[in-house]
Amino acid sequence: MITLLLIICNILLIPLLLIGVINKVKALLQTRVGAPILQPFYDMVKFIGKGETISETASWVFVWSPRIGLAIAIMAAVLVPWSGLLLPASWVPATNLLLVLYLLSMSKFLGMLAAMDTGSAFGGLGASREATITVLVEPALLIGLGTLAVGAGSMDLATIYSQPIHPIVAALIGAALLIAALAELSRMPVDDPTTHLELTMVHEAMILENSGRNLAQVEYAVALRSCIYFGLAAQTLCRVWPGFLALSPWLHYLAGLGGLFLIGIAVAAAEGVLVKLNWRRVPNFLILATVFSLCAALIAVTR
Amino acid sequence: MDYSWLDILAASAALLGVWMCGVIRIRTLLAGLALQVAAMAGITLYIGLVTHVTHFLILAVVVLLVKAIAIPWYLAWAAKQLETREDRGVTVAPTLTMIIGLAILATCYFGASFIAVPSLGNVGAAGMAAALVLLGMLLMIGRRLAISQVIGFLMMENGIFLYGLTQTPGMPMLVEMGVIFDVLVGVLVSGLVIFRLNRSFEHIDVTQFRGLRH
Repeated sequence: MITLLLIICNILLIPLLLIGVINKVKALLQTRVGAPILQPFYDMVKFIGKGETISETASWVFVWSPRIGLAIAIMAAVLVPWSGLLLPASWVPATNLLLVLYLLSMSKFLGMLAAMDTGSAFGGLGASREATITVLVEPALLIGLGTLAVGAGSMDLATIYSQPIHPIVAALIGAALLIAALAELSRMPVDDPTTHLELTMVHEAMILENSGRNLAQVEYAVALRSCIYFGLAAQTLCRVWPGFLALSPWLHYLAGLGGLFLIGIAVAAAEGVLVKLNWRRVPNFLILATVFSLCAALIAVTR
Repeated sequence: MDYSWLDILAASAALLGVWMCGVIRIRTLLAGLALQVAAMAGITLYIGLVTHVTHFLILAVVVLLVKAIAIPWYLAWAAKQLETREDRGVTVAPTLTMIIGLAILATCYFGASFIAVPSLGNVGAAGMAAALVLLGMLLMIGRRLAISQVIGFLMMENGIFLYGLTQTPGMPMLVEMGVIFDVLVGVLVSGLVIFRLNRSFEHIDVTQFRGLRH
């Protein structure tokens, strides 16, 4: 019962709060006052109330894919142990890492379909760039999570994260997951989320045509995916301290959320300091994630 | 953790070498090189503290001053003098070079027992030393600018230094100092040669040296 309440709190409260904290920290670092921390909640209410402008060449794909994408994101957010919450034992087989990765890829695929459906040039541009980044980052995710799976002897994420992980392997895979998270969520240095120049956009070009309720669904799905990716990275990095698993369930959950918000603050600080990479230099940055994952795999294999 | 400082520093040096294979900017390469040499100096310091032999401590300080501070600073100054040479292209893509570097590191780690001296040294550190030598070679052959090839050569020198440090009971102080100052002089002379090349060709791209001047 408590688990269900916490899961609902995880889905309804934490994602938008994380986005609000990231934006507020970035504003403070740029010596601005910035929007209030709860601004994403107000934005959601505003978007849902607004009318939509849909391109004449768009079809049902454009209308339905944000809805299905949001549903998939909610499902993934429930299944992935990104907050340190212990799932009921009967749900554990559903947290298979391949299932989770495919769910996240599917939501990205639907986003790309919707972007190309509008017939505008920016949608195609954003979709192709997003696809390139996803392809470059996929090996890092698979090898990293696969290494953890081999170490834990099971492909279920819930089982993997309930067992101790070797500290060096945890540090390397945490770093790889963090870089992969920055790439998948289109944050700096891969893509500037606040850019207003369409030529430099990756993710924003994909969602440029959405307005009103569609935009609310897309933004909420992005917030949920931020929680999933940053939360997984935070959980893996927390495993560097062997005593982390010995904490009581409540402390585990709160420490997991604390780690998530700390990573959010670090990402905000990085966004204030870094510049967006030249598009031709993006693979050089993303290969670091694959190298970290491969290193961790080698270390795990020799143990 | 059950690793000694020697293992951690040697592994960090090798990982820095792998990272440097994928770096494009000269100043970042030099920063990586300086960190690598600092790791070598740290290992020398550790060995000196563990075996209570003072010549290792003096060697650590000299290595830090000459190879970690003086040489990278000189090369950075040279790169600035040559002007827009801070961003460059490579013959093999940097991403692929990094993966090849990782494969080299793995091979050297698993084959370390062939080249180590088990009675004296650390088998792991010998593997890392061999990896550093091979990674330096990879850097040298995969890069286009002459200054990056000097950096590759310096990484090879790091590897040889690490091997000598961990697999032998130590060389006489005079020999070590001689080697370090030979490296310093070598780098200074190669800097002079690079300036000369730049004056003749207007660039230091080694793949273009065979063509006729435009």
